[in-house]
Amino acid sequence: MFYFTFLVLVGLVLGLVGVASNPAPYFAALGLVVAAAVGCGILVGHGGSFLSLILFLIYLGGMLVVFAYSAALAAEPYPETWGDWSVLFYVVVYVVGVLIVGTLVSNDWYSCSWVVVDEFKDLSLLRGDFSGVAFMYSLGGFMLMVSGWVLLLTLFVVLELTRGLSRGALRAV
Amino acid sequence: LTPVHFSFSSGFILGLIGLTFHRTHLLSALLCLEGIILSLFIALSLWSLQLESTTHATAPILLLAFSACEAGAGLALLVGTTRTHGTDHLQNLNLLQC
Repeated sequence: MFYFTFLVLVGLVLGLVGVASNPAPYFAALGLVVAAAVGCGILVGHGGSFLSLILFLIYLGGMLVVFAYSAALAAEPYPETWGDWSVLFYVVVYVVGVLIVGTLVSNDWYSCSWVVVDEFKDLSLLRGDFSGVAFMYSLGGFMLMVSGWVLLLTLFVVLELTRGLSRGALRAV
Repeated sequence: LTPVHFSFSSGFILGLIGLTFHRTHLLSALLCLEGIILSLFIALSLWSLQLESTTHATAPILLLAFSACEAGAGLALLVGTTRTHGTDHLQNLNLLQC
């Protein structure tokens, strides 16, 4: 359990280092896919399997796929991967920075700060995160309406931004 | 600061630094924003899971809804930039330069 948690946390930090070092957007999207996949692993390790599935489906399968398609707008003949010197410099600086801060804060870590108590300690039929999300339909109904309204407004924002030509928000100058 | 908290906090700060030092592409800045939102989702989910409070489990779902809005608006801006300038290179966004 310690090894799984350790691998997943290292994977999250390295994936986000791969995104933050700004390679070509193809590779940054790949780093984000890896970071989201191991982020699901963190949530599964803590017992939140429904939230992990939501992250996989909506975030990876919805939003990141759209970003991967949009990476075609950033096409260039020689994309900078993590092996090129300019990107590798940033990767090394970020990894060294994380290691330095990690050694500063890891004085209080002991063997049990890596493992999680399982949530089945009393007999229960419902999962905690699953029935917690169901609160969004009962007590959190107002936030549900607000989110739906915001999503509808975003649709009109996107339609207005991409109208272009002579009367849109962005014009060809 | 437990290891899990350290990892998503450093992920957030890494995404913020990557957004600050973005170099050529607008899309890589948008991907750093998505990394920030990923670390925030993990943080909110772990808040609900570690404190065993089920009512806080709606927060990551609502964060995901609003982040989808923001990603859509960012990608629409990217499409507009590519239509106007041909690429999404940030050096082309210089109308306000003196």
